[in-house]
Amino acid sequence: MVYSIRDQTAIVGIGRSEFGRFLPDSQLKLGAKALNAALDDAGLTRADVDGVAIHLGWPLGVDYDRVAEAYGLSLRWVSQTWLHGRFVTSALQQAAMAVACGLASVVACVTAISFTRERQILGGPGDAEGTREDGGTHGESPPYGLTAPAGGAALAMQRYMALYGATSAQLAAVPIAFRKHALKSPHAVMKKPLTLAEHQAARMVVDPLRLYDCCLITDGAAVVLVTSAERARDLKKAPVYIAGMQGLRSGRDEFIFAPRSLGINQQPTRREPPPERDLAVYRMAGIERKDVAGLYTYDAFSPVVLFVLERFGFCGPGEAAGWVQNGRIELGGELPMNTSGGLLSEAHVGGWNSILEIVRQLRGAAGERQIPNARHLQWGTAWGDSVIFRSSR
Amino acid sequence: MSEHTKPLPRITPDNQPFWDALRERKLVLPYCAACGKPHLPPGPVCPFCFTDRLEWRPASGRGTVSTWTVVYKAWFPAFAADIPYNVVQVELEEGPRLTAKLVGLPNDRLKVGLPVMIDFDEAREGIPLPRFRPAT
Repeated sequence: MVYSIRDQTAIVGIGRSEFGRFLPDSQLKLGAKALNAALDDAGLTRADVDGVAIHLGWPLGVDYDRVAEAYGLSLRWVSQTWLHGRFVTSALQQAAMAVACGLASVVACVTAISFTRERQILGGPGDAEGTREDGGTHGESPPYGLTAPAGGAALAMQRYMALYGATSAQLAAVPIAFRKHALKSPHAVMKKPLTLAEHQAARMVVDPLRLYDCCLITDGAAVVLVTSAERARDLKKAPVYIAGMQGLRSGRDEFIFAPRSLGINQQPTRREPPPERDLAVYRMAGIERKDVAGLYTYDAFSPVVLFVLERFGFCGPGEAAGWVQNGRIELGGELPMNTSGGLLSEAHVGGWNSILEIVRQLRGAAGERQIPNARHLQWGTAWGDSVIFRSSR
Repeated sequence: MSEHTKPLPRITPDNQPFWDALRERKLVLPYCAACGKPHLPPGPVCPFCFTDRLEWRPASGRGTVSTWTVVYKAWFPAFAADIPYNVVQVELEEGPRLTAKLVGLPNDRLKVGLPVMIDFDEAREGIPLPRFRPAT
């Protein structure tokens, strides 16, 4: 196999706007703040940016052409995926590939979202994805009233609970852990601790998901600047190398909010540990799973945090609900996850808030959230794609 | 899409026979003439062997609940009056799974593995919507 992209590109700048609810600024304005901050962080100027990758466009976010026009950029490479959370990894990977292939020198991954202004897109009549022919993108079935992304996560978790005896109280360990992390993140939206009793007493949203199993609906922007490893070494901050990656899995054995073979939609039902082809990200990075000091994921709903652990083999099929107990995924635990609070407690910036946290961690700049001696951190999702980041320190 | 009306199934050339059969109170599945396997959702080719020789054959209408949920939040205004309402996935005896709703059982008795049978008694704007009830 060819591992030519290993350590060939790096994140050299990160920036964000404020995160919050019902922010007065437009998405485009929030994005401008984040881009400005990222350029300053990297020691680059606007003229250095010649590529843009966007995974959440209009109307929730911003489109590449408006970004270029509004910010006065002159781009020679762009990519934009359909408005969907699942493509966060794809956008970052495309940025790295564009740089590695010489199509761009500096790619800005721009995510600027106002969920609070565009609420009806999530499961309401404005949600075109949910009404896709033959089934929505998360298993939505609008004729039967299953119209929101949370519905797919609920279908997966309900079956998981029946198969393995997992409980809502076990699931609570996920949002409780991430809330603890958010309390150490000054910019996080959630400011109060979450207890098991509060989790269990919260209203049911879509059985078995209770209120705190569902991510925040917030506004905010995040920008990540990707360039070549060679150029990165001359910039202001220590580069964070993109060491390995693997792409989004798709097929009849896949459901976006489930591990392989859970039996949702048309998935088979024979659960097994991850096959070698699903561990390619470690091979490309040249590390083992045990070398990962922390795992970051797109925690739209708390079940997908369990599923990503099984997806990458941190525990066996059916074991994750038990595995996450007793602080195991908290700071100080065996495998800290989403250390800035994630979508569940920091803010929903399409997952890029966690990419920013990975960069802070690998620069040794995460303050009281710092994972000691973090050299490799993994971004991975329940739908099977992943990027491993390597510190240059 | 209007927020005042419940969404209708999207009928396409690939799934038209499925909906046409429901109007006659029949559940049919696309079977592959080459490998013999049925599949859902209805596609233009067999997903197992990629042939386009498909035959629509009757299904028994029996199956088991493979997963379920109950919706408590009014994401979609037209469903607000129904809350809380269930949505189930049913694994048909023939193998493929269908998303629908279950009637004839309180929501607190929903469970994975429940034997069910199809019920044809609901239509929306003339389009029959398959639903299930506990098997007798």
